[in-house]
Amino acid sequence: MLSRLVLVSGHTLKNSGSFGACLVQASRSFHQSSQSLAPVPPLPEKGGKVRHGIFPEELFTLLYPKTGVTGPYMLGTGLLLYMLSKEIYVINHETFAAASIGAVVIYGVKKFGPSVTGIVSADKFDVDKVAKAQEVKDQAMASLAQGIEDEKKEQWRVEGRHMLFDAKRNNVAMLLETNYRERLHMVTNEVKKRLDYQVELQNLHRRMEQEHMVNWVEQSVIKSITPQQEKESIAKCISDLKVLAKTTQARASV
Amino acid sequence: MMVSFFDQFASPSYLGIPNIAVAIALPWVLYPTPPARWINNRLITIQGWFINRFTNQLMLPLNVGGHKWALLLASLMIFLITINMLGLLPYTFTPTTQLSLNMGFAVPLWLATVIIGMRNQPTIALGHLLPEGTPIPLIPVLIIIETISLLIRPLALGVRLTANLTAGHLLIQLIATAVFVLLPMMPTVAILTAAVLFLLTLLEVAVAMIQAYVFVLLLSLYLQENV
Repeated sequence: MLSRLVLVSGHTLKNSGSFGACLVQASRSFHQSSQSLAPVPPLPEKGGKVRHGIFPEELFTLLYPKTGVTGPYMLGTGLLLYMLSKEIYVINHETFAAASIGAVVIYGVKKFGPSVTGIVSADKFDVDKVAKAQEVKDQAMASLAQGIEDEKKEQWRVEGRHMLFDAKRNNVAMLLETNYRERLHMVTNEVKKRLDYQVELQNLHRRMEQEHMVNWVEQSVIKSITPQQEKESIAKCISDLKVLAKTTQARASV
Repeated sequence: MMVSFFDQFASPSYLGIPNIAVAIALPWVLYPTPPARWINNRLITIQGWFINRFTNQLMLPLNVGGHKWALLLASLMIFLITINMLGLLPYTFTPTTQLSLNMGFAVPLWLATVIIGMRNQPTIALGHLLPEGTPIPLIPVLIIIETISLLIRPLALGVRLTANLTAGHLLIQLIATAVFVLLPMMPTVAILTAAVLFLLTLLEVAVAMIQAYVFVLLLSLYLQENV
């Protein structure tokens, strides 16, 4: 008996909040009914209506067609008086104890009832829970929508990819072209240098030959000048000079 | 008609079936099992909130090994508090006025804490027998005293609960009888006595809750020493 109490309290502990909703699934195997799941209809927020704190409203509605509004009250009074007068209920010390505890209970409920309900009523307890879950759900939805936006943007980017590739291709082609031209230039220069060298070489050759020839001719001429010829040329030069001096003198005196 | 006021504490039986069995099973009926829902109605929410809060509070000073006792202590607390409070209603029988029931709770649970302590950390458990800072000449005496104090714990637990509840019920009965008897003779005095009865009932409500809490709290303290 006590173990069942412990088990059931344990079940209560298990299911109420912090001990893990996963344990609830373990208990499902004991329920034989078909498991109809979400959406579960919400529980009524308030319990059944009662009058004077204990008598359910259904009693009053039951008796209303036959006995009207005062029916249940007459029933209650009648029952009470019957039990008292026939001594089915004997007034003894427990009556006063009952009155006392009744007063305490009524006082407690009237005073602390609203504040206790206030702890767990919809505007504090469950609203927090629901608000947190809603927040989580909204955040998840927002992040998923953001994911969709990003995906669309990526797809748009992919469309423009060929332009990127063309530009890259052009770039590479230009590099290759530049490289090729540089090498061509270099090759031309090298070849020109070689050819210039050959030209210079030939020029040098010709110049040397020319100089050599000129020297040789000069040497031959100098060698061929006999002393006879030398005297004749000097005498000619002197007579030319005399004539020249005469003409200059004549021109000066005129 | 009762012969003596103590007859109310005799364990009642009807046609050979002990009523105490029904009285013990009654608290189970009063706490509905929460359905597998995320948001429940107010009653279940309050119940769950209270149990959670209480267990949290109780488990604060305990280390993780002590948390294994959460279920036991919380259910014990709910049981005792319900039985005590139900006993305040008229014409009811309170099982916790029976020493047998209270000792049945106190001795096994206390013994469990002691055995856990002796088994897992014997040095520390025995070390509790000597408080810190005792002067050396007093040590032998103090160990004897502490051992006696240790062995008396289950007795104290059981008898505390029994005595408090029995005394409270007895007082209520006596003063209610006084009111009943005085009412025809001296109504004014009867009304004064009725006021006393009202205050006493308030006290008894408090005592009912406090005694249950103290029982469980002391057990958790013994556990804290030993686990």
